[in-house]
Amino acid sequence: MSKRLLLGGVLVGLAFVGMIDSSYVGLSSLQGFVVPCEIAGGCEQVLNSPYSRISGVSIAWIGFVFYGWVTACAILTVFGFPRWLQFSLGANIPAFAFTLYLLYVQAFVLRAFCDYCLLSALLVTLILGFHLFAKPWKSAS
Amino acid sequence: MSGLAVRGSMVKPLLATLFLIALALGVAAFLVHRNQSLPDSNSSLGSSASGLDFKPVVTPKGWTKGNPAAKTVLVEFGDYQCSACGAARQTVANVLKNHESELMLVFKQYPMESIHRNSMIAAQAAEAAGRQFKFWEMHDLLFLHQRDWGDVPDPQTFFLRYAEELHLDLERFKQDLWDGKIRDKIYRDILEGQLASARSVPTFYLNGSLMPRAQGDAQFEEIIADAIKKAK
Repeated sequence: MSKRLLLGGVLVGLAFVGMIDSSYVGLSSLQGFVVPCEIAGGCEQVLNSPYSRISGVSIAWIGFVFYGWVTACAILTVFGFPRWLQFSLGANIPAFAFTLYLLYVQAFVLRAFCDYCLLSALLVTLILGFHLFAKPWKSAS
Repeated sequence: MSGLAVRGSMVKPLLATLFLIALALGVAAFLVHRNQSLPDSNSSLGSSASGLDFKPVVTPKGWTKGNPAAKTVLVEFGDYQCSACGAARQTVANVLKNHESELMLVFKQYPMESIHRNSMIAAQAAEAAGRQFKFWEMHDLLFLHQRDWGDVPDPQTFFLRYAEELHLDLERFKQDLWDGKIRDKIYRDILEGQLASARSVPTFYLNGSLMPRAQGDAQFEEIIADAIKKAK
């Protein structure tokens, strides 16, 4: 019981930070400017690159939808529906694969990193870690 | 019945989710708004142009390339430490090569010192080289090697090396590097950019109007070619 609450709460927290991170980049892009990087220093190059958009839409919004979905599933878990963690794990696996691809693009194609993308990569990885720890597939059987 | 009960008990979690989504968007919108209200550089010439009731003008004054009599003028506000500006250098060079007789490029200094600590002195180095007629040569070297001098505590050593490479008079270059008139000129460029609402680097103005951000080299070329066609 307490494990479910704790896991759900942690996932809600991580996904909430992810929603702020992704919508900050997405909204900035809609406003037509690139957010400055304080740590990695490559935001302009990464967020101006063609890899940052799909059909003209910033891929930060894909991240936002993912984090929104994880938030919904984690809140449902907190409210007593732990089966929903399977659905967030279902989204988490392709999200993690996409994150690895974006890290590859930053490291080897653009040779520049952006703070917000690295934060998102960390969040997706942590969310995956907590999912694997929760083993939601067990509650299904 | 139990299905309805389950659906009913899902209302609260869904409302909580919607609340968190709205809250996250609100926080992000606040951060974006705050970011936009911040002054764009460390210059002491004031902040944004909001509240001014005149239309800011981007002048074609500055370092130029291409045909000075061309009807199409592309003005770039750039920062030597900005990696996107470094990447844009080749794009701009290609466009200029393709339309040399129909396009004039103007480069203006827009060092964003608050995020690029060596950008101001790099701009000074380019201007100092310009006094010895080697502006574009220094401009290219600064962009090409921006990773070398970008975050070092003493970038001047690198700039002196580039000056030597360009066979500049080193004593004069050192003097000009810190000349107040050069800094004034850079501040004038920064002020012009701020008044024209340049919020990031590089920002391009095509025939005085803010150029839409291009997705890739092909679209950049397309926008310029279109403007040239219209100007004919």
